[in-house]
Amino acid sequence: MSVAETLAAVRPRSSRAVAFLVFAIAIALIAATPFLPNYYIRVIDSLLIYILLGIGLNIVIGYTGLLDLGFVAFYAVGAYSYALLASPQLDLHLPFLLILLVAACLGAITGILLGIPVLRLRGDYLAIVTLGFGEIVRIIINNLDWLTGGPKGIARLDKASILGIQIARPVDFFWLLLVVVLLAGLVAWRLERSILGKAWAAIREDQDAARGIGINTTNAKLAAFATSATIGSIAGAIFGASQRFVSPESFTLQESVLIVLMIVVGGIGNILGIVAGAAILILLPEVLREFAEWRILFLGLLMIFLIIVRPAGIVPRSFGPDKLIRRLIGK
Amino acid sequence: MTLVFDRLRKEYGQVVAIDDVTASFAPGLIHGVIGPNGAGKSTLINMTAGSYTVSSGSIVLDGKRLDRLKKYQIANSGVARTYQNIRLFDQMTTLENLEVCFYPTDVGGTWKEVLWPPYASSRRDRRREKCMEILRFFDLQGHADAEAGSLPYGRQRMLEIARALVCNPRVLLLDEPAAGLNHHETAELTARLAAQRSPDRITIIVEHDMDLVMALCDNIIVMHHGKLLFQGTPAEVQASTDVQLAYLGTANDIDDIRAAAQDRRAQLGIRTRRRS
Ligand SMILES: Nc1ncnc2c1ncn2[C@@H]1O[C@H](COP(=O)(O)OP(=O)(O)OP(=O)(O)O)[C@@H](O)[C@H]1O
Ligand SMILES: [Mg+2]
Repeated sequence: MSVAETLAAVRPRSSRAVAFLVFAIAIALIAATPFLPNYYIRVIDSLLIYILLGIGLNIVIGYTGLLDLGFVAFYAVGAYSYALLASPQLDLHLPFLLILLVAACLGAITGILLGIPVLRLRGDYLAIVTLGFGEIVRIIINNLDWLTGGPKGIARLDKASILGIQIARPVDFFWLLLVVVLLAGLVAWRLERSILGKAWAAIREDQDAARGIGINTTNAKLAAFATSATIGSIAGAIFGASQRFVSPESFTLQESVLIVLMIVVGGIGNILGIVAGAAILILLPEVLREFAEWRILFLGLLMIFLIIVRPAGIVPRSFGPDKLIRRLIGK
Repeated sequence: MTLVFDRLRKEYGQVVAIDDVTASFAPGLIHGVIGPNGAGKSTLINMTAGSYTVSSGSIVLDGKRLDRLKKYQIANSGVARTYQNIRLFDQMTTLENLEVCFYPTDVGGTWKEVLWPPYASSRRDRRREKCMEILRFFDLQGHADAEAGSLPYGRQRMLEIARALVCNPRVLLLDEPAAGLNHHETAELTARLAAQRSPDRITIIVEHDMDLVMALCDNIIVMHHGKLLFQGTPAEVQASTDVQLAYLGTANDIDDIRAAAQDRRAQLGIRTRRRS
């Protein structure tokens, strides 16, 4: 047997083992989380929120190939939807599920509102304009004191509850977020494989040729912006409910950049990659907390290292969830 | 009904690329467009497909003005094209390159596809069946799951034509399909293009390869400095001294035109990938 043949015989089995390992770790983590101290559960909650944000932004960046640096605006729209509709601020106390729905709609609308003016832009120009959009939304929130409380933010948000079950402890949010992340991941993944997802990919590869085969790129791009923003806004509403306090500080450019980084480091266009990217960029700083000022340096070095050894991300685009599942069932 | 150019004109600032061209193209025939470099052949294709705007005049297909439509609407009116420099969706597979062409007909069912997996798979199977049929016609079925950008140059040319044909277009526009192909591949291409001929289809081929044009075309248009210089059957074009003058500056044999075209083809580099 030649070396190549031996490798070919071994690789499927070992990659199957890797798939099992990944799956086992995920299950073990999920099962163990409820028994962890609250501090750790909070960290995992925030990890899940970032994964959710990553899934949303990836639709625009990874699937459609449009570099959006203002994603945090949609996150803010969701968070402030909850803050305004479930707090003493306007003395409104709507049920959580209804607010989620409102936040989703508002997210889609803002997504389209951002999408329309930037339809003609690509690459660097698009990045700059969306960056500006993100900042504008934050500055508006900062200055609209009578409504948003300005820099002080809005405090004493209602405790969330779903059908009479209170969602207040970190562990409650853990289960809620887990369900939402799985749902959003499933929808995003199925969208990618749908005919619309193929059109997004065609726009990413060659927008003009995409028009040449009859794709209305305006509609396809707005659909991408809208679904992406909807997921971002839902993440924001859950974030608001879990913090029970919102302020403009949570929605800075840095957040947008962090989410983009997560996607790039993890594997652009791939949901599994986002999970990996989020795990590194969100969990590692927590783990390295003791090293205080050194951790940013360390993270920077790690990122440079990853970009050099895995330029396509930790999990490349071609290794999607379908591949993982196929490996697990051994086909 | 036909495809009609009426006093079609294209200006780039001071440059007149197309100078009041009037022509009509009947279905069932293969129309060749030839002419020296810079004659305006690609500009004609680009205006018909909606890639470029029309400065004045009109393009009418089956009584419908095309020149006022957007590019995607023109495509949806049944106009398909290939590009002088191949433009595939490089990071998508060969099969996906064709599958995505069904977007205009299938996009309405997107949410159903997302929410109801059996519907999605039946839709996908139907699309893929049609795609595989075309892939087999172009002998590309073995490459179905390969990334389009990784195919050899000659296969990429074939795939681009397959992509144009997959939705059974009314008008097929080919901009130098034989550029960069070797003799063997050019012969294969000629055979495939002859085989795709159908009574409803208007095929327009821009090409420098005289053998291909003479073998395939029923009707040839000769462009020169943006003007329609000559129109006729292959035999008439070969006999015309005007055409020889346009190409070579002197009245010469068609063989010299062929040699000139061959030189030019040798200069064409193999396509480089756009992506870093
Ligand atoms: N975008 C543009 N801007 C300005 N001038 C252009 C543009 N595109 C083409 N031209 C000019 O229009 C004329 C016709 O160009 P076109 O590409 O249609 O020629 P062609 O017949 O396809 O030539 P070739 O055989 O080299 O492909 C040329 O003089 C060219 O320089
Ligand atoms: Mg040309």
